[in-house]
Amino acid sequence: MQPPSDPSSASSSASSSASSSGLSSGPSPTGVIHDIGYRGYDGPRLGRRAVARALFVHSLRGVFGIGRSAKSKVLPVGLSVIMCVPALVLAVVTVIGAGRGLLDDVPLDYSHYAMVLQAALAIFLATQAPQTVSLDLRFNTLPLYVSRPLERPDYVVAKYAAMTLGVFLLLAVPLLIMYVGALFAELPAGDETAEVAAALVGAAIYALVLSGLALLIASLTSRRGFGVAGIITTLVMTYAVATALQGVVGIDNDDAVTAGWLGLISPMTLVDGVQVWALGTDPATPAGPASDATGITFVLVTLAVVVGCLGLLVARYRKVRL
Amino acid sequence: MSIITTDELTKRYPGVTALDRLTVSIEPGVVGLVGANGAGKSTLLKILLGLNDATSGQATMLGLDVAAEGPQIRGRVGYMPEHDCLPADVSATEFVVHMARMSGLPSSAARERTADTLRHVGLYEERYRPIGGYSTGMRQRVKLAQALVHDPELVLLDEPTNGLDPAGRDEMLALIRRVHTDFGISVLVTSHLLGELERICDHVVVIDAGVLLRSSSTADFTRATQQLAVEVTAEADAVARTLTEAGLKVGRDANLLLVELAGDATYDVVRDAVAQLGQGLVRLEPRRHRIAEVFEGGARDAAAV
Amino acid sequence: MGVNNTIVRLTARSMLGGRRLYLLAGLAALLLALALLLRLFADVSATDSAEFIQAVSLGTLLPLFGLIVGTGTIGPEIDDGSVVYLLAKPVSRHVIVRSKLAVAVTTTVTFAAVPTFLAGLIMVGDRAGIALAYGIGALVAGIVYSALFLLLAVATRHAVIFGLVYALIWESLVGTFVPGARTLSVQQWALSVAESIASPGVITADVSLGVALTLAAVVFVAATWYAGERLRVLTLAGDD
Repeated sequence: MQPPSDPSSASSSASSSASSSGLSSGPSPTGVIHDIGYRGYDGPRLGRRAVARALFVHSLRGVFGIGRSAKSKVLPVGLSVIMCVPALVLAVVTVIGAGRGLLDDVPLDYSHYAMVLQAALAIFLATQAPQTVSLDLRFNTLPLYVSRPLERPDYVVAKYAAMTLGVFLLLAVPLLIMYVGALFAELPAGDETAEVAAALVGAAIYALVLSGLALLIASLTSRRGFGVAGIITTLVMTYAVATALQGVVGIDNDDAVTAGWLGLISPMTLVDGVQVWALGTDPATPAGPASDATGITFVLVTLAVVVGCLGLLVARYRKVRL
Repeated sequence: MSIITTDELTKRYPGVTALDRLTVSIEPGVVGLVGANGAGKSTLLKILLGLNDATSGQATMLGLDVAAEGPQIRGRVGYMPEHDCLPADVSATEFVVHMARMSGLPSSAARERTADTLRHVGLYEERYRPIGGYSTGMRQRVKLAQALVHDPELVLLDEPTNGLDPAGRDEMLALIRRVHTDFGISVLVTSHLLGELERICDHVVVIDAGVLLRSSSTADFTRATQQLAVEVTAEADAVARTLTEAGLKVGRDANLLLVELAGDATYDVVRDAVAQLGQGLVRLEPRRHRIAEVFEGGARDAAAV
Repeated sequence: MGVNNTIVRLTARSMLGGRRLYLLAGLAALLLALALLLRLFADVSATDSAEFIQAVSLGTLLPLFGLIVGTGTIGPEIDDGSVVYLLAKPVSRHVIVRSKLAVAVTTTVTFAAVPTFLAGLIMVGDRAGIALAYGIGALVAGIVYSALFLLLAVATRHAVIFGLVYALIWESLVGTFVPGARTLSVQQWALSVAESIASPGVITADVSLGVALTLAAVVFVAATWYAGERLRVLTLAGDD
């Protein structure tokens, strides 16, 4: 039996074989479009690493809404602006205040910035983490990724790295703005540099911990709304509970030690505890880790959270039915 | 020279066996994988691509073992899933470029090939709109484009004509045929519509409930039978009686009379009988087998292989 | 003025089926567990307890609850398009809204207001009427939040996000730094109601009771009505 002897397919195969060298198939009446037939590809084919890197860049752009529709740019860009504006204000205040001799230090500790702006940070995570992972689950695009040279752990790591870098940028840029303000205000450069460096390390830890948790929660559901609600609920409730408990126990009951331990409950206070103990900053919570034992526990728990989230994400994507 | 082979490939789920010791060897060309819904076609494709693991048995694609050398295979193979898999908020161009990058193409090559491939599958100005607004036909084309964009040696198409109207189905089938004849890419296409695969495939594999029923070339499936199909304007019974009296074996299939060929003379006998009764002859043609018959007399045809 | 029992039943079943039930019950249990822990291991005065309940329950739990429950009664249906089956029935849109709202309010009351009351009881017994005050306050907040977020879910596909922005940024940040904005905060209305029930001086609200009750009632009725109107003209366009 022959395939349908379609006159158009016969002529197109004739013309494509004639033009398989890539030349145009003769001058057409309009002289504009030339059907040069199918060209094979014998260029380089990049391996896993390069593909994972491409996915990382693609996801990072998605975190900030770059390359997507205008609607999906509003929130990340708006929140980035909201994150930076207070820093700008503080920088200006520092310059003016120091100039008039009213201030001899930045009005807000660098390492406290993340805590103060955690509402915006939480909303950023709650909306962008689902955008990074839930969409592929909802639209079932995952089989298309997995049937390509990309391995499933590569997918997870690329997404995690992109989210982490995005959150880090979100936190680091305001810190740098404040730092520049402090330099302009001619505050002692050595001290300021040390403080901002510590805060930047803290920002990296915040980014790792928060991204891990947010991605893990978001990857559990294909419904973006649930992911958003889940992330916000987790971040906000744990913070409210931790600080409320710390307030009652630490201040009213004057039990600073227990209050310090309570910081383990919420990711924001957990990382702040690490900042306090390991980097020597002032606590942004009612009570920081009071002893070395507490401090070391905070560091270990932080590591465990990051590694655990990554591991759970990899396991979750291994198990997902395609 | 087979591009796909399986050897006792089995996939068991709790309560149902999706593939049962399937052993088959597939040659380059356009190969159809046919079976009813739930016969195991999608499962087979997923195992071949490494999306799922087999319970037991081996499989190879392009000469490489599916379980052990998956990553090497996946760069040279394209996949068009049956289900919806396109994000709604990006345009076809953006999506296919991204998929090309995910297949290992460098950035500029990805853009060029995307433009070419989208043109080949027939998407022109629509390619810049978000996929959310596309019709089913356009979505199927995008799915096909992302499977072809990295110039694979083999593409696996799972129910590519799903949801298309008859015109769209014809176009898609013609496109699939072109993928092999013009682009030089081997194709494995699944369908539960037996008739359409007859038109474009060189070779057909029939499975049912995870078991191989038959695997042979299309020509083999649809070879001429020893029957003539005769259709007359009226009085079919009278014609049948006349032919039987003339010594021919006559069967019925709704309006058609099926007359056993007993040599070249049979044609003349039929013509004369119909003319004698004063009826009009609408159709007189050799009857060909259809793939569907495999399901009716499974054992009989299996013996014929 | 009625509700459609079938819709109530179906909404209740989907709202309380499986995972969501665990989430809601878990949050309620968390609140109670905290109250218990503090009562047993810490020395908390009436004022401390009041502050704690206010911060955790009224300030955090209630808005989140209202968000999850209010959007959850209709959000998923609109999201996956199955709301067409509901809209194709000869049931008034307002009845649909009222039926779903009934489920939302009942759920919020059961899993947020009652536990708030119980937490208050656990922490301070019936001293200064704190438990009852916050319980009723949570009730009021829950009712209004449910209506607001249900409206949001019908009006926009990004209800959860807008609801979050409202609950987090408006209620806490703006409410704290812009005194005038407090009049428009559901939390403040709830506090005002609580203030009127508790012993004087224990709870302070910045909005008078009359204003608070009026605004709460107006917002509730308006949101419910407007949700019905929006449901009438709901279009299920493509996707995001």
